[in-house]
Amino acid sequence: MLGFVARRLLYLLPVLLAVSLLTFLIASLLPGDLAYVILGDQATPDKVAALRHDMGLDQPIWWRYLGWLGHVLVGDFGRSFRTGQTVLQAVTERLPVSFELMLLAELGALIIGIPLAIACAVRAGSAFDRFVTGTAFSMLSVPAFLSAILLIYFFAVELRWLPATGYVPFSEDPLGNLRCFVLPALTLALGEWPVLMRVLRSDMIATLQEDYIAMARAKGLKPSRILLVHALKPSSLTLVTVTGINIGRLMGGTVIVESIFALPGIGRLLLGSIYTRDLIILQGVVLCVAAGYVLLNFIVDMLYAVLDPRIRHGHA
Amino acid sequence: MTATTRMRRLAPIFLVAAFASMAGAAQAQKSGGSITVGQELDIPGFDPLKIGVFDTSAETAAAAIFDTLTYLDDKGEPQPKLAVSWTHSDDYKTWTYKLREGVKFQDGTPFNAQAVKENFDRQKDPANKCRCAFYIAFIHDVEATDDLTLVYHLNDPQVNLPALAAAPTSNNVVQSPTAWKTKGDDYNRNPVGTGPYILKSWTAGDRMVLEKNPDYWNKGHPYLDRIILKPLPDAQSRFASLQSGEADIVWDDEYDPDNIQKAQKDPKLTVHSYTGSGAQVYAFNTKTPPFDDVRVRQALVMAIDRKKMSQAITNGLAKPASNPYGEGSWVKCKDDGALPYDLDKAKALIKDYGKPVEFKMVVTATPRGRTIGQVFQQFWKQAGANMEIEQIDQATVVPRAFMRQFQLIPWRIIDLADPDPQMFANFHTGSPVALANYSNPELDHLLEHARVTADVAQRTEDYCAASRLINKEAIWFWTFQNTYYAISTARLKGLPKIHSGVIDVSNVWLE
Repeated sequence: MLGFVARRLLYLLPVLLAVSLLTFLIASLLPGDLAYVILGDQATPDKVAALRHDMGLDQPIWWRYLGWLGHVLVGDFGRSFRTGQTVLQAVTERLPVSFELMLLAELGALIIGIPLAIACAVRAGSAFDRFVTGTAFSMLSVPAFLSAILLIYFFAVELRWLPATGYVPFSEDPLGNLRCFVLPALTLALGEWPVLMRVLRSDMIATLQEDYIAMARAKGLKPSRILLVHALKPSSLTLVTVTGINIGRLMGGTVIVESIFALPGIGRLLLGSIYTRDLIILQGVVLCVAAGYVLLNFIVDMLYAVLDPRIRHGHA
Repeated sequence: MTATTRMRRLAPIFLVAAFASMAGAAQAQKSGGSITVGQELDIPGFDPLKIGVFDTSAETAAAAIFDTLTYLDDKGEPQPKLAVSWTHSDDYKTWTYKLREGVKFQDGTPFNAQAVKENFDRQKDPANKCRCAFYIAFIHDVEATDDLTLVYHLNDPQVNLPALAAAPTSNNVVQSPTAWKTKGDDYNRNPVGTGPYILKSWTAGDRMVLEKNPDYWNKGHPYLDRIILKPLPDAQSRFASLQSGEADIVWDDEYDPDNIQKAQKDPKLTVHSYTGSGAQVYAFNTKTPPFDDVRVRQALVMAIDRKKMSQAITNGLAKPASNPYGEGSWVKCKDDGALPYDLDKAKALIKDYGKPVEFKMVVTATPRGRTIGQVFQQFWKQAGANMEIEQIDQATVVPRAFMRQFQLIPWRIIDLADPDPQMFANFHTGSPVALANYSNPELDHLLEHARVTADVAQRTEDYCAASRLINKEAIWFWTFQNTYYAISTARLKGLPKIHSGVIDVSNVWLE
């Protein structure tokens, strides 16, 4: 088991290295750089050259990358030229916001998705099943920016139950903090639950046709016990994978929702650093998201082992 | 405005009644309370060496944290703030300010002439390579002749220096020299000024909390106990936050016409708008065909139906511009020489040119840039010209302009208190942003004359003649004036004009 964990953690290194190199390359391919952004309407060729020299942007790209990597290896992620903030400061300030958003969103999606999936699987092909899968399909095609505005209009402007925008730190006011996450998390959950529901539904339908379920029925076990104990666990392998991948995606992919609800999360930091070509911050954020993604996959793998002993013992 | 009144205000003045005039009209101001301001952008910081120049969101914060030497009253006239009076030499190349006594920065550092000079020198120093240095290029140096006397020596004459000193820009606000020296890299996000509010806390991307400065030199001010500034990047949710009460005043612009028009009908909300000087403008590169021929340029300008365009992109809110000065400017022309919208004439001119008119226009790769490009494309197609839209990233528009790698490019004349800095830069032969690559001794002469003349009537005549010449030659054209919007709860009072789109809440109160 320990070897399994260690092996998995070792995978982290090459992934992070590749991700950081790719980000560096792609960001350098963008037209314009930080010098142009800082100089704005004063970006004459000679001023740009001078400022680029000051910031080291005139060095060859591989040299800059190695320099950055060298600093990272000794724990120095750098400091933005533009804001003077260190990367650690910028990321740690915002990470908790995105983390909370993504957890609540995924939780919301599971709360909506799992019961519906079970209900549909039991009555596969019924009118109820067709209605739910149809709804899921249409929810899937509603973009977040639309559902967000509709939710704001309804719950914040008309009913005034929840705030339209804003953020309160959990440490300051736990209830207020949760209140301001309800709408953003719901917005994301509305786009997430259909995927989870459909995956679990089809796996569950397959499981319910297994012999041991028939056996359980024959033994006269309660239907709810069969569904929740005997059928759900083996059916949820794909669900766990999809949930893991979705969480990873949500970590960096909440840019739109964070902008609409004015949440100070990592998605907005990422977007801002791309607009301003703030490569140091960009690298920091991408590394953080990539590390989170890899760690989540690792956790998913661990969960497999819990759900399916065959994997734990290496007989898969 | 007549020549004599203008002369009078530019003559040496000693305004003792500064406090009374700053208090504004005789409305009942109430102290206490707090407001939340919803802004468009995240503020990157306040150190000019780090960020170059402030954007409008940063200027809103700067107007509360810092002070400037002067401020503009409702008529656009400069009034005393950190400076109590000013005089100038006959050639307008030397300006002497007397500074307010007994003012202290929020960290206890005394405010004096030396502090202002250090702010200037730091930005001017070529070793610091500050973008902000460009806007003070016309000032040769600043001298502190005694503790409260400041002498500006200018390279070029400037008759409106006190008015230009009023905007809360990175050049004009006075920051504490002790603070930036002791805080180093961290100063950018921990600014210290003499202003009515002190920065209490700032969570990047979320909120900046400003608390009333109890030791503010202007006794009885400010009114509010607290101002919270929040970036609300999305226009729809920004307006929703105002409606639901999470924000008390929000920034807006004419590209969000639905909400502005909705707010105008709502008795609980107040729409503040101000049409400043300047305009949204476009420059032809007259060194590249087909724009080396004046007929083509004129034809394209005459094919633009600004009313229809305003309707299409801003629901009619955008105000057409016929010259580069705008309603907010003191330059009012009886005849600015604007070419009329005349599609038939445009067709005839292009026919007269004889060759096919095909070219590329640079637009920013944003939904707004694309829409504007498509509207032009339709207008010009009707006149018989084929325009291809070239979308480029915002950051690369400027370098393309400087290197003259364009045929037609968007630009902006911003809302300044005097037309000289931008008119001279945009149209005088040899200037790096004289984007049209156009040279005309007559135009040069008008611009040179206007900058050294104090008489307003005379200057107005010069600038109107320049407008007639530019319009006739069609080297640049203007579509819409700079109109700025803010929407607030009707309880918020005392908001000054939104110069340059800066919502200055440093002196507002709640009813």
